[in-house]
Amino acid sequence: MLRMRNLSRVYRTDTVQTTALDAIDLDIVDGEFVAIMGPSGCGKSTLLNMIGMLDSPSSGSYLFGEQEVAGLGESQLADVRKANIGFIFQSFNLVDELSVRDNIELALLYHKVAPAERTRRVDAVMDRVGIAHRARHRPSQLSGGQQQRVAVARALVAEPRLILADEPTGNLDTQHGEEVMRMLQQLNTEGSTIVMVTHSPAHADYASRVVNMLDGRILQERRRAA
Amino acid sequence: MMWRNYVTVGLRALTKNKVYAFINIFGLSLGIAACLLILTYVRYEFSYDSWMADTDDVYQLQDWYKATARGDEEMKLQVTSYASGQALKKDFPQIEKMVWLNTQGMTILHNGQAITPTQGAVADGNLFDILKIPFVKGDPHHALDDPNAVVLNESEAKKLFGDQNPLGQTITLSFSKVKQDYRVTGVFKDLPKNTHLNISLVARFEPSQLFDARNLASWNNQNGPIYVRFKPGTDVKAIEAQFPAWEKRNIPDEPGAGPFRNPGEYQDWHLVNVRDIHLGEAQRAALNPNGGDKRTILTFVVVALMILAMACINFTNLATARASQRAREVALRKVLGATRGQLIAQFLGESVLVSGIATLIALALAELALPALNAFLDASMEIHYFGADGILLPVIGLALLVGLAGGLYPAFYLSRFQPARVLKANKSAADAEGSGRLRNLLVVGQFAVSIGLIICTAIVYGQTIYERTMDAGYKREGLMQVYALGAPDAERVAKTLQEEVRKIPGVTAVGRTTIAVNPGNNSMTDVRRPGQVNPINLGIYGIDPGVVPALGMRIIAGRNVSETIAMDDAWTPQPPEIEAEKALVARGVNYVLSESATKRLGFPTPQSAIGKPISVGFTIPEAGGQVPGTVVGVVSDVRYRSVRQPIQPIVYYYQRQGYNQLLVRFEGDPKTVRDRVEAIWRRMVPDVPFASRFVTDIIQTLYRPDERRAQLFGMFAILAVVIGCMGLFGLAAFTAERRTKEIGIRKVLGARTLDIVRLLVWQFSRPVLIANLVAWPVAWWLMRDWLNGFDERIALTPLPFVVAAAVALAIAVGTVTTHAVRIARTSPVKALRYE
Repeated sequence: MLRMRNLSRVYRTDTVQTTALDAIDLDIVDGEFVAIMGPSGCGKSTLLNMIGMLDSPSSGSYLFGEQEVAGLGESQLADVRKANIGFIFQSFNLVDELSVRDNIELALLYHKVAPAERTRRVDAVMDRVGIAHRARHRPSQLSGGQQQRVAVARALVAEPRLILADEPTGNLDTQHGEEVMRMLQQLNTEGSTIVMVTHSPAHADYASRVVNMLDGRILQERRRAA
Repeated sequence: MMWRNYVTVGLRALTKNKVYAFINIFGLSLGIAACLLILTYVRYEFSYDSWMADTDDVYQLQDWYKATARGDEEMKLQVTSYASGQALKKDFPQIEKMVWLNTQGMTILHNGQAITPTQGAVADGNLFDILKIPFVKGDPHHALDDPNAVVLNESEAKKLFGDQNPLGQTITLSFSKVKQDYRVTGVFKDLPKNTHLNISLVARFEPSQLFDARNLASWNNQNGPIYVRFKPGTDVKAIEAQFPAWEKRNIPDEPGAGPFRNPGEYQDWHLVNVRDIHLGEAQRAALNPNGGDKRTILTFVVVALMILAMACINFTNLATARASQRAREVALRKVLGATRGQLIAQFLGESVLVSGIATLIALALAELALPALNAFLDASMEIHYFGADGILLPVIGLALLVGLAGGLYPAFYLSRFQPARVLKANKSAADAEGSGRLRNLLVVGQFAVSIGLIICTAIVYGQTIYERTMDAGYKREGLMQVYALGAPDAERVAKTLQEEVRKIPGVTAVGRTTIAVNPGNNSMTDVRRPGQVNPINLGIYGIDPGVVPALGMRIIAGRNVSETIAMDDAWTPQPPEIEAEKALVARGVNYVLSESATKRLGFPTPQSAIGKPISVGFTIPEAGGQVPGTVVGVVSDVRYRSVRQPIQPIVYYYQRQGYNQLLVRFEGDPKTVRDRVEAIWRRMVPDVPFASRFVTDIIQTLYRPDERRAQLFGMFAILAVVIGCMGLFGLAAFTAERRTKEIGIRKVLGARTLDIVRLLVWQFSRPVLIANLVAWPVAWWLMRDWLNGFDERIALTPLPFVVAAAVALAIAVGTVTTHAVRIARTSPVKALRYE
């Protein structure tokens, strides 16, 4: 699905130069569930943003499918992103002013999906994550677990090839965290490719492969026995 | 200690966000500066003639005509009849002094040179005992005692005598039919601009030398302003209350039959303090046609306050919008023990600080703009800080008021935050829904004012353009008016002069007339058809056959006046001789009517008036008052006066002499033609200075006040739009910041920059669009009212409304787009890490 070669990301200010990613080589194939782990500041989120094309590499190559995306402009990246990638964030990142249904629908607004089709797909995905009964509520009226389910629904509704999850359980209690992890596992079983950043070894165990990072480099990769 | 902390925090909060500080302070400065300038202007308008000493008991006697069924239009004059002054003096012993003044087109002859004074006048007594105009030389109390005394202003004295002492010098004055030697007895200071007076030379004169006894006894000949000094402490209101009885006692019936025989039926007299003349109701026949208009001034005050309010709104809006950034500070202060009262005081203090800084900048802006405004308004306004008319105290008051008004809502709003919630949420509780709605409402208000002003500007401009270009019944281009044709020296050769001018290459027609464009005189009389009891009041003027082609009037029915038909000639000797007048009445006169006059006299069509008899109040009472005659022609209406006044229906007659102006129709270069006419004039009438104006220039002067008003409205509109946009700009910045997270999410979900820009621009376009709903009806109502003040006016079409909406929207969109683009371009990673 994607192949990164010698990929680096360097942040520069006037006085400091920080290497967030240092010559990363990474391959992810369709249907994988990859967990990225490592201490704070090791570059996990940067790597995830890079995969999600929210950030551009300073150097190196990034093939998404057959397409080299390393040198693409902002609006081309937006096109590739919205056609292929769904996001789930630690802090849910729902729009407070919009209802659950509208939040989910938001992902389809930029896809030129006809209104009737939008309604059908939003209804379906709300059923799938079990949030349909809350469709008219605002995010602030939901529990953390419910909010994250809405975020998952939003990531799924556009039917992306790849789901990126940035510490999706970080803001949830154990019970709700497990709930979300089971949901991701289920999605993976159904064919979604998932890349997840997490601090929790227990949650990393849901993944088929674990990538450990330190100081912007991939330290080791470990595949779970099938 | 606490206050130092407040000031430090206040200043830092201000400097932390430069855009916020700039918009707040500079926007407010603009608003306050505009307000200051307008208030200075208002005070200047009210300062007219208050520079004269001892004016409490000094009044002008004014004659106000009422609109009547016979066709008199309402006309509030600053002049009155000589007879009314004499009757007033006779009946009211409270009068200490009274002087009659009469302005004259004069020529000064001195050292073999003919010079035209800026404005000459004659007085029948010592004007300077009543109007205490400061003197440079001579004794103001006795300056006009001698029958041949003349007083000059400094400029005239300098012009005539240079550095010589003017006192005791002799000059010859030529005016009307008079040519007389005068001795200079005084020099007064040049009048300041804020005066209703317009005199540069005042000569002593007996009215009987200028007007015959009949004229002076008539209550219908308003030949000059009359000034009265009452004894100190006189109750002038009480005197005015006695006017109805005084009119009954003094005004004789005019000859003739029917109603309106007594001038008291259609005229009223009023005493107006000399300081109130400039802004008074009566503005016609003013010495100085720069009369103020209380309604316009009031409009400016309202607009100034609206602009100030707009700046205050920015202040309030930005402060509440920014509240999220101050929420943690408020929470912390509360945790540390601050009471709500202390917090309110702190925030009010901050806003007063801002308004104080803004006021200082506003003062500088006002000082910088004042010279330009003075030039624009032809005024001499000054800003004083100290003393009775010092603005320092009012300005401090204004700064406090603006600071409090702008800071009140944010202060109460900010101080309400609950610390626990704010600190726990680690974000603001400031984004309460209510405040967003209020901000939108205020933006709607601001743009309603801007759009309203744009509409008004467009309509006022449209009307001024219309005034200058509409069909006035004559052709404006290529027409010159030559004055002073009535001076005795000129009148003697008028006919030859006319023929000489006609020979100039390029001159196509020349006419002699007693009425021309923007006439200083208004001559009206009773006209009747046989059997008609109620007379119709029409304008009456003499023209020669050249006037119709010179003006470009159309002959609608019948014929033009003719020099060769004896019955057309209405000339009689002046002053009137009873036998000649009687002969004229016995013979009759041929008249030419304007189209509207035929309607007023009840003729169904212009054609049907031809050959019909009418009688015109055109002679002295002793000869019967009425001159019978026949209508021989009907000509198109001509708008001689301002478009504010209705077109005057006119009966024209021909006379072989007795005209006061020459109309010259020409083709080609105006200057060449004028130089040639002037050369002929100088050759034939060397003792009368040549005076001429092109009609296009006259029209421009005539409508200058309207044009100035349009320009002022335009300036206000620009100011309002600028302030409104500054506010919008600031709000867009803060909203964009507040919506950073949302925008980040949208981008992650695939929104392109353009989608985000569209989203933000729409958010800010909505209040601007809603503002139209407020602005349109108000502007429509105001402008309909304003346009109704014109006899002819442009139609109130939707165009200016739609254009104003489009302009406001375009400017608003332009203002927020920069922000929207900037925000839309930021990386979503940053946006989402925000939390």
